[in-house]
Amino acid sequence: MTEVQQAGIRPAARAGVGLRTFSRNQAVSMLAILAVLWIALGFLSPFFFTVDNLFEITLQTAVIAVIGAGMTFVIISGGIDLSVGSVFACSAIVGGMLFSATQSLALALAATAATGGLFGIANGILITVLRVPPFIGTLGMMGVARGLALILVNGVPIYGLEPYKFLGQGKLFDVIPVPTVIALVVFAVCFAVLNYTRFGRFTYATGSNAEAARLSGVNVRRVQIGIYCICGLLTGVASIIEAGRLGIVQPAGGNGYELLAIGAVIIGGASTFGGEGSILATLIGAVIVTTIRNGLNILGVNAFWQYVVNGIVIIGAVAADQFRRRR
Amino acid sequence: MTANGPAARADPGQLLRMSRIEKSFFGVKVLKGVDLALERGEVHVLLGENGAGKSTLMKILCGAYRADSGALEVAGRAIDLARHDPKSAEDAGIVTVYQHFHLLPHLSVAENLAFGGFVRERGLIRWRVVEARAREALARVDLDVDPRTRVGELPVSQKQLLEIAIALSKNARILVMDEPTAALSRKETERLFRTIADVKGRGVGIFYISHKLEEVKQVGDRITVLRDGVTVATLDAKSADLSQVIALMIGKDLTRRGREPRTAAGGTALEVRGLASPTFPSPVSLTVRKGEILGVTGLVGSGKTELARALFGIDPAQAGTFLLDGRPVRVDSPRTAVALGIGYLPEDRDVDGLCLNMGVKENVSLVLLSKLGGPFFSIPAERRTASELVSSIGLKIAGLSQQVKYLSGGNKQKVVFGKWLTGGCRLLILDEPTMGIDVGARGDIYDLIRRFVDREERAVLFISSDVDEILEVSDRILVMAGREIVAELDPKTTGKGEILQHASRLHPGRGAT
Repeated sequence: MTEVQQAGIRPAARAGVGLRTFSRNQAVSMLAILAVLWIALGFLSPFFFTVDNLFEITLQTAVIAVIGAGMTFVIISGGIDLSVGSVFACSAIVGGMLFSATQSLALALAATAATGGLFGIANGILITVLRVPPFIGTLGMMGVARGLALILVNGVPIYGLEPYKFLGQGKLFDVIPVPTVIALVVFAVCFAVLNYTRFGRFTYATGSNAEAARLSGVNVRRVQIGIYCICGLLTGVASIIEAGRLGIVQPAGGNGYELLAIGAVIIGGASTFGGEGSILATLIGAVIVTTIRNGLNILGVNAFWQYVVNGIVIIGAVAADQFRRRR
Repeated sequence: MTANGPAARADPGQLLRMSRIEKSFFGVKVLKGVDLALERGEVHVLLGENGAGKSTLMKILCGAYRADSGALEVAGRAIDLARHDPKSAEDAGIVTVYQHFHLLPHLSVAENLAFGGFVRERGLIRWRVVEARAREALARVDLDVDPRTRVGELPVSQKQLLEIAIALSKNARILVMDEPTAALSRKETERLFRTIADVKGRGVGIFYISHKLEEVKQVGDRITVLRDGVTVATLDAKSADLSQVIALMIGKDLTRRGREPRTAAGGTALEVRGLASPTFPSPVSLTVRKGEILGVTGLVGSGKTELARALFGIDPAQAGTFLLDGRPVRVDSPRTAVALGIGYLPEDRDVDGLCLNMGVKENVSLVLLSKLGGPFFSIPAERRTASELVSSIGLKIAGLSQQVKYLSGGNKQKVVFGKWLTGGCRLLILDEPTMGIDVGARGDIYDLIRRFVDREERAVLFISSDVDEILEVSDRILVMAGREIVAELDPKTTGKGEILQHASRLHPGRGAT
């Protein structure tokens, strides 16, 4: 009997190990793709491997990576958040207005992050209490947040955010760009939350099987609301970085960032079926997304093509995920 | 009683004949040469315990499974069983009326009936004609609904009649009905039987599978009893003695007794008084004692799973008192149940019990984590707890991080069990814990259940429709029928036949229907 069972277990065991090595390979292969991209761009353009441009990439990556970190939670839990681009603009506007009125940087930054977090909580309530599917609920919120951003300032950008500039343009020890530091801190915290806290474990469990999690006593609703809150909050943080870089906030800002952030997570290898994904993979994904954008810029490709390329890359990544699952 | 030997001759009027059908799954012979015949206009009831082979036989007939050997003849024409599939079954006029409806709920009754044959003119659908035909088809089953009604809005009983109407519109000659009354009320059942009588009148033959013995005499013409993959007997339904039928189903085990209750049970673990909800129109009361395995059995639709879901707070009771260790408690959600130390092994472990793409370690610690306070937990402690659990319950895995979807059914169930063991639960509700699990692993599960109640005054509510295992495992037995507890029995003095009689409401102690 034991012999039969052990024999029966062997192929399954091999399949389990095989899949794990495969998903580890996914991160490795993404790194390889990134290396190929960089080398190719290095040959195509003498500007690519300049110090300025490499910093430009880390700067651009910081914004998308921070939103992507929040999106990683959402996608692991089996959801999606399409509202991040609009929430990005609206929270920046709220913070910018508060800064214009009070000249208090601390207050402005807190308000920016809090606005993002509140939008996230609203998304979470839509999804858990009103049971609106995440795709539709956050699509609606995308319209609401963008509209509010435009209404608040009547469509006019807010200028004169000088104290913000250190956060977007400053350098720590005169070397490391501050946005890069912010992004690394965000990723370190998210890594700890996902891997070493109950909340992180419940995020995976919710995405893997929400009903099994609920029947094990997990407060799935609270976990989901928390997940969308984190995503909104980090979107607010990302908008601070961008405000610092540009010195202004604009109600039209963050347009299309949902595509870039979701792209970063999916390209990193998270499954749109939920339950799988990792924060480090998102970081690699974000660098790939920005590299493509940067590369197209340097090569002088019409900026509008960026949307097309990004869209195709995301579709390709999801198709690859589906293919992986079918085997 | 006439034994239906292999030599039974096919008379020319015979609608269907299956002979010497054999089928094995993974080397286990499930059908060992079954013979079965169906006359025109006959309702032929198939009876047998779980695993006797009824459903397998019917799936072979409908082309869902392929027989290993045997012959099939429909209206005198031989059908090649080696190439029999759902398509050739439909061509032969064999149609299954599904228990789980395969209707399209968002489309109208007429559209569901017309599928595959919309009447068109110049490419446009002639709705008038489609609806007129639908009305005709509905009249055949005496179903009075507007063909434009959306199917999703129909009650279960009418959906079933609609399924029959669809089958008849496909020119079905042979209908297979598997537990058609499981979800129906008494009145709806009467209605279905009138339709069945009508359909019979048209010369259609019906195979009817049911566990409800009370229906058998009412609806059936002949009864064939299957046991362990062979035909035991074919009897005339009207003159059959049901106690004798039960004896045939069970065989020599009829008087089989349960075992001695292990130790004297302790105080009350859980007492439920007057639990009531739309699911339980008449209030249910029960007591589970400490150290006890309380078995709950009954037929499909008797309310066993519903009882478990109410006790665990998934579908909370609307009235009634719960006393846990003598203290009144409210169980209004699974989360409060878990916090009170109640655990639940769901009927379908893949759907409700496991995070399939997570590891063994992550699954077994889920309940414990949901009970912990504070945001952080210790990864090394988790690993230690999980590996202790794995060795103590004999889980066969490649590693603690192996995804549970790659485990066998028995090992998956052990993972669900382990989740409640590490979670420190005191009262465990098990819903069909050995369903789909092979014999060897079953013994392991029984062992786990016994070991669970051996310690720290824990208790188990053990739900199963398998009477053998109820007798083998329980210290006390409750029988459910029609969403009520109809009997409380002592396994030491109870026979299998008696349990089945209670479950079918045939017991002399009650007014049999």
